[in-house]
Amino acid sequence: MELILQQAPIVIRSLNIGFLQTLKLFVITLIGALPLGLIISFGSMSSWAPLAFIGRNMERKNGRATAASRFFTGFCPISLIVKIIVWVFRGTPLMLQLLIIYYFPGLVWGNPIWGSGESGRFLASAVAFIINYACYFSEIYRGGIQGVPRGQQEAGQVLGMTKGQIFFKVTLLQMVKRIVPPMGNECITLVKDTSLARIIALQEIIWAGQAFLKGSQGISGAIWPLFFTGVYYLIFTGVVTLLLGWLERKLSYFRA
Amino acid sequence: MKKLTKILALVLALALCVALCACSSGGSGTPASTGSSLDEYKDKDGNLPTEAPEGTEAPEGTETPEVVETAEATDSQYVKDKGVLIVGITDFAPMDYKDENGEWIGFDADMAKAFAAHLGVNVEFVEIDWDNKVLELDGKTIDCVWNGMTLREEVLNSMECSKPYCNNAQVVIVPVDVADQYQTADSIKDLAFAVEAGSAGEDMAVDYELNYTPVKSQADAIMEVASKTSDAAIIDSLMAAAMVGEGTGYENLTYTVGLNSEEYGVGFRKGSDLADMLDQFFAASYSDGTMIECAETYGVQAALIAQ
Repeated sequence: MELILQQAPIVIRSLNIGFLQTLKLFVITLIGALPLGLIISFGSMSSWAPLAFIGRNMERKNGRATAASRFFTGFCPISLIVKIIVWVFRGTPLMLQLLIIYYFPGLVWGNPIWGSGESGRFLASAVAFIINYACYFSEIYRGGIQGVPRGQQEAGQVLGMTKGQIFFKVTLLQMVKRIVPPMGNECITLVKDTSLARIIALQEIIWAGQAFLKGSQGISGAIWPLFFTGVYYLIFTGVVTLLLGWLERKLSYFRA
Repeated sequence: MKKLTKILALVLALALCVALCACSSGGSGTPASTGSSLDEYKDKDGNLPTEAPEGTEAPEGTETPEVVETAEATDSQYVKDKGVLIVGITDFAPMDYKDENGEWIGFDADMAKAFAAHLGVNVEFVEIDWDNKVLELDGKTIDCVWNGMTLREEVLNSMECSKPYCNNAQVVIVPVDVADQYQTADSIKDLAFAVEAGSAGEDMAVDYELNYTPVKSQADAIMEVASKTSDAAIIDSLMAAAMVGEGTGYENLTYTVGLNSEEYGVGFRKGSDLADMLDQFFAASYSDGTMIECAETYGVQAALIAQ
């Protein structure tokens, strides 16, 4: 116990530095992934079918829908591409994505675009996290948007609102409220997922805690700093949970 | 509504394109990317002749016959053009570790600084995940691995290595209270071991036909013994001296029998000419005494190998 007290100032300082990286990655990921997720969700809902006229012509000629005509009418390239991207990023481990995004340019193109220092590692991690989380967010957004009853849009039309007004003032407004609980889930997961970035040697808090096992700044063979990082995560997720609860209360409009 | 989503979808497609372009252009603009790749020089010739960083190398490369040469430049040339030798390390006393001011010191760190000065470039230390050292080298995010690296077969196969410069051994870590029972190589046969995956310790466990569990790092291996999930661990003697015994977090662990002797070397990219240059540098600094002096500073002179 005495030993721990002696080590505490050095360890805490080092963990704080690591935690700052964790926090930075968390904030940057949210800032990037929240809007990107919305864009991706629009992409996956896109019903732009450039070949639909071919299918319609075929139907008119044959008098009925065939497999080929259904293919042409239902072929939505943007939606298809976006869905494949989402599948790839949700379907592979984030740890693998980090490794590929960081090492691929140098290995294959011979040009390490990210740079080798801490900032390059952070940039690569941020890109991997933003894309990965945007894919998850996009599905939550899609669920939220499609979960708003169709009648709401029709009511907007009856009231003579433009399409833009209907989307922003009716659909989006109700969507935001609906997605807070699932988004909260993702945010909490993100807090802990930041620790995956240590695989490309981003010196976040787990890395900082582990350093004392092997020996760092005159302390070696100390296990407690690694376990102690759990306290940081708990406090962090606690604060995030409170914020989400507050947000949910703020958004409880429309409810009598 | 349908039309709106259509427009939004187009915006999305554009935004994605712009985002991707921004990524790549932003990336190739970073100073670390002064690559030896032919394409890059072509780019500079074609579009940004005045913006070539530091001026000197890129214009030389513009003369057509030399472009090919630049692309196939030696590794030492690549490092010199870049102006910095990036050394991949882990925090590992007494080889590479931080002093109170956060400066990297240690026997390896000091020798790396001296070697970089000899090459006429700056030195930059980058902490890496030890499992990814070959990836980091080949991906050019580091230029060498200089961190008390045991010259094992896998290392020799995947890197261009210097001659050995330091001796090391793999030792067995056991709890102090049972240490006297395990002083010989025969006595340890029945123990359950923890070893770092892909380490020299794992090689020993295989050679001695021990019953072992591979774990992520040497530190994890020690933690296994401390928490009694394994009976014993095999780690480097230099690390064992720093990590267990009096004054560490593992006061009730100690190290007993040494299983082998092995040697430390420095690893470069496969085919790099820097390994030879380092051998010459080691020989020179060994004969003028600076290497021994440096070793004495960090208490590793006994392990030093004559160059």
